[in-house]
Amino acid sequence: MKNFCNNLWRNRAHIVMALPGFLILFLIMYVPMAGLVMAFKDFDYAKGIFASPWSQPFYKNIMFLVQSQKTFLNITKNTVLYYLLFTAVGTVLNVTLAILIDQMRAKRAAKIMQTLMIIPVFISYAAVQFIVYAFIAKDTGLINNALGANYSFYSKAAYWPVILTIVKIWKDTGYGSVLYMSVLAGIDTSLYEAADIDGANKFQQIRHITIPSLIPMITVMLLLSVGNVMRSDTGLFYQITRNSGILYSTTQVIDSYVLNQILKSSNFGFPAAASLFQSIVGLLLMLFANFMVRKIAPENALF
Amino acid sequence: MAMKIRDKRRLTPNQVIGQTILTIILVLFTVFCFAPVVLTFISAFTDEITLVQNGFSFWPAKWSMDGMNSVLRYGNKLITSYGVTLFVTIFGTFLGLLVMSMYAYSISRRDFKLSKFLSVFLLIPMLFNGGQLSGYMVFTNYYGLKDSLFALILPLCISTMNVIILRTYIANSIPYELMEAAKIDGAGDYRTFFQITLPLLKPSLAAVGFMMATAYWNDWQNAFLYITSEDKLPLQMLLVKIQKSIEFLLNNANVPASVRASMGDAIPQYSSTMATVIVVTGPIMIVYPFFQKYFIKGLTVGSVKG
Repeated sequence: MKNFCNNLWRNRAHIVMALPGFLILFLIMYVPMAGLVMAFKDFDYAKGIFASPWSQPFYKNIMFLVQSQKTFLNITKNTVLYYLLFTAVGTVLNVTLAILIDQMRAKRAAKIMQTLMIIPVFISYAAVQFIVYAFIAKDTGLINNALGANYSFYSKAAYWPVILTIVKIWKDTGYGSVLYMSVLAGIDTSLYEAADIDGANKFQQIRHITIPSLIPMITVMLLLSVGNVMRSDTGLFYQITRNSGILYSTTQVIDSYVLNQILKSSNFGFPAAASLFQSIVGLLLMLFANFMVRKIAPENALF
Repeated sequence: MAMKIRDKRRLTPNQVIGQTILTIILVLFTVFCFAPVVLTFISAFTDEITLVQNGFSFWPAKWSMDGMNSVLRYGNKLITSYGVTLFVTIFGTFLGLLVMSMYAYSISRRDFKLSKFLSVFLLIPMLFNGGQLSGYMVFTNYYGLKDSLFALILPLCISTMNVIILRTYIANSIPYELMEAAKIDGAGDYRTFFQITLPLLKPSLAAVGFMMATAYWNDWQNAFLYITSEDKLPLQMLLVKIQKSIEFLLNNANVPASVRASMGDAIPQYSSTMATVIVVTGPIMIVYPFFQKYFIKGLTVGSVKG
């Protein structure tokens, strides 16, 4: 104990330096965690989360979720399916792009192309939605003009899983490959030279040297994303679809639903229960995924 | 076994074919990524009537400056919004970088008994999170941040991932012995951090700082939720407002003509909307190439383990 106190005193400067970060984390992350009890309260804005009375019975709000099956099932289904789709497509494309750029011999040209590919990540969804509109608008859109067709993209829900996936690929792939490139830059070139001498062709080299060395990074990135299964890129689903009610069946996710409810400031019971559900499922999946990775490849586990 | 080591500069015919295919694929993908940006620029300078009649095009029949002029007509509103966005971006980024690098430095100290606890404290928000509804209620109800610029600054100023990136950089690229030597030479803890660690951390600070700055610059959601008064609206809200009036017309198909007329300027025109997109997004595009070289060097996440 005395030892411990001595250590703290010796490190008092480090305590002082960690303190601002500690306080901000506490205020913006930890207090809202406690705020999730809102799911068990009859929320009254004037009283605030913690002073609002407990609902009777305490699972009243949770019952809302179960009763309003249609909305709840729909937003949960959309959230999970888009997560799976984006993660699968995103990982494959990010890794592929990183390898392709890495294989280019004309380094300067590769660099310039990479610069242009990263640009979309820096455009906010509030702006992207107007660019998307230019392509898919009914009368003035580029696609309808080019095809001489008259597709009404903004009124048919079935198109949207494809549209949103293309937008997501366009926006994030260039930047997503950067992390993998940093791993590729670190591979010992003598491995390739040795493989070359042994007569391995390019594809064999990629399969047996490049991809195995990317696996730890892929695992870490997937693990980090698992906790966000129930969360989405709100801007993508809210802005790009123009929050249009006709499209909700394929575009509304939990986050955009909750955002709508906050803006309407209607009944918070349902969204509060949905938020709790989001957080708990995220936690459980993260723990489960990490547990699995620990079993299979302990060196890649997060904790 | 007769071994022939290839001359690195001379390519075999197979390699030439390979490189050509590779180049074609990458050029196509580059066009896919960049063409929409080009279209935005062209549309902003397309004559509005041409745009309505012929639709969006890479080769418009008639050019015009009207779109740009109508954006500049926002005048004071535009200047105020630029001011708000600049303040939030600069203040938020510097505050975040300072707070996060100090935190990262503290938990990277090997002889500091609290560093384990502080690492766990940092990682838990990645596992469990209050979500936006609870966050909104806490911010408005308990912190009184409704319509405050701090509601834009605080949520983005510290993130677990960024602290991990900084800590990994400190652990892998700054020799621990160097910091120890500074202490033996009589530099205090603060001095070691500010004069030895911080300057060496620059590539990572540049990469993380630029990502933070973009996040601040592009943040529309917090402004949408928290900001109500006109003189605190950031740039992105110019776009959100255009979107809102479109949404209104879209979801209320039979708005009477009189209401439409009274909306006047609020009914957006294509070219001026695209011009607004450029005015809002432009500064990042201009700054970005200067920071790009730090990305690969400074963003190595490496080991995330605590």
